[in-house]
Amino acid sequence: MVERLLEGWSIYKENLIGKIGLTLLVIFALMALCSFFPPMIDPMYHPMTGVDPQISHATSPSWRHWLGTDFIGRDILCQLLAGARIAFMVGISAAFMSILLGTVIGMIAGYSGKVVDTILMRLADMIMVMPTLLVVLILSSLFGQLNIWTIVLLIALFRWPGVSRVIRAQTLSLKERPFIEAAKVAGASHFRIIFRHIMPNVLPLSLLYMTFRVTSAIIIEAALAFLGFGDPSTVSWGMMLQWVWKTGHMFQAPYWLLPPGICISLLTLAFYMMGRAMEEVLDPRLRKEVAQE
Amino acid sequence: MEIRRFILKRLIEIFVIFFVILTVLFLLFRLAPGDPVTRMVDPTLTPEDAAHLIAQLGLDQPIWLQYIYYLKNFFTGNFGISFHYGVAVFSIILNRLPNTILLFSTSILLSAFAGVFWGKIASWHKGKKTDTWMTLGALICHTLFLPWLALIMIWIFGFNIGWFPLNGMISPEIWMDSSSGFWLKFLDVAHHMVLPLATLFLIHFGSYLLLMRSSMLDTLKEDYILTARAKGLAEKVIRNQHAAPNAALPVVTSVGISLAFSLSGGALTETVFSWPGIGRELVFAVSNSDYPLAQASFLLIATVVLISNLVVDVLYAYLDPRIKY
Repeated sequence: MVERLLEGWSIYKENLIGKIGLTLLVIFALMALCSFFPPMIDPMYHPMTGVDPQISHATSPSWRHWLGTDFIGRDILCQLLAGARIAFMVGISAAFMSILLGTVIGMIAGYSGKVVDTILMRLADMIMVMPTLLVVLILSSLFGQLNIWTIVLLIALFRWPGVSRVIRAQTLSLKERPFIEAAKVAGASHFRIIFRHIMPNVLPLSLLYMTFRVTSAIIIEAALAFLGFGDPSTVSWGMMLQWVWKTGHMFQAPYWLLPPGICISLLTLAFYMMGRAMEEVLDPRLRKEVAQE
Repeated sequence: MEIRRFILKRLIEIFVIFFVILTVLFLLFRLAPGDPVTRMVDPTLTPEDAAHLIAQLGLDQPIWLQYIYYLKNFFTGNFGISFHYGVAVFSIILNRLPNTILLFSTSILLSAFAGVFWGKIASWHKGKKTDTWMTLGALICHTLFLPWLALIMIWIFGFNIGWFPLNGMISPEIWMDSSSGFWLKFLDVAHHMVLPLATLFLIHFGSYLLLMRSSMLDTLKEDYILTARAKGLAEKVIRNQHAAPNAALPVVTSVGISLAFSLSGGALTETVFSWPGIGRELVFAVSNSDYPLAQASFLLIATVVLISNLVVDVLYAYLDPRIKY
């Protein structure tokens, strides 16, 4: 296992796109870690409740506030750092749940075949044609303000079908292999075959899909917050953009408009790039192309 | 013959999916916390009007009968009265739909063609600087945060340079003036459409380029490309006539699969640019708790997704004769 990882890493680090992605990711991870410090220095640096007593409108960058302040005098840099933490939290937990669902459903569908397969895959088709953002919008209109974990859960519930299709296809080919036959003869239960014999073989693929799911989860949460349906108790980048847009500061305050958008775009770019690089690690066909250069 | 059977099968599937969506939506609207009557009937109506509407929607009946009413109303185009506009939801939606289709189909078609064209070129220069820069550029376009891009577009081209209007779809003074002809109105809409179109174009263009590039690289390894080379055909002929048409097929499929995703993006774009389309209406309805309008807009968007998926499937079957159904 460790050897396989090391081998994968040695291929990964040759990849320019992968290296850029990883660097960006590390920067954002540091940002997320740093978000804990400013409120300790002075309560006015708290991203949500900290208001600079001397400022009551949007101000441009200064020594006191490196990226300026928003319309009620909150520090934009601190909001940006806190936003990184929220983005990681939302992205990774939603992606983890959706690939967990997708992998299990995909394996069960592929392994059982017949009716179970048909039902699960039709369900997947159905969910796949739904625009996730709009579905969550409708739900939030019916059930009132959604909190951040409900949003994460909803994203996960609507983003598994893509993963499950891929995993199902993989399982279909795996279950014809001799080692599954051998496990059956040895008397392994279906449960054991799925989780002990099939799962380790599809896991790398799931992991690859997780990077892409992180991207879409972050985008959906940000878009939701941007439209004003985010969790009002969290400071996310989408929320910051909503504030700048709704308070009419988008033409006057580029120092406020630019950073959150750049951060969302770069963080999703980082995960997307890592995904593409991992694809090359996992798919020898793609890798050979690189080796031929 | 084969293809006709395939279309029929897909039609049935789509019908079933649609029915399930209808049902789920019905249950959600009835089971969500709160009173369904206050949700479907405008609180500002007079008691008589309200009673009439309740009877029409069947809200005083048991739930299974309500469901029958709901289906009947749906198929006769009766979605209730919008709280905000005070007119039939159906007429609002009918009014907004062409605007969405206009913006949407133009942007998808433009970006798909541009993506195929530049993806072809990128794959042809694989490993060289051109390819690296194009791939990187496409990746960045693809992951730009859409509403933010829209705001930046407005800020730069609308506000700072002032080439294009900040939002909306038409200039009222031109449309109110009875002397302005068709072309003037056409140009006016086109002028308003440039920024939203450019926003949607950039987002989609990147993903189509990346897809075309990798699909083209796969195709170039096929035996028939080798045959073409062996025949001594010019590289340009091989690229444009032998490889590209086949490599473009996955792009067609992806247009269908990514449609749901694009529609979310469409709603965001319409909202930021105040483009009077169905997506903006949905966002607006949800923000204002205008439930009848929200429900109907959502159903309509789902219908659009399903029908376009069918169109893409048929198109694919037509484009690729190797596919057997």
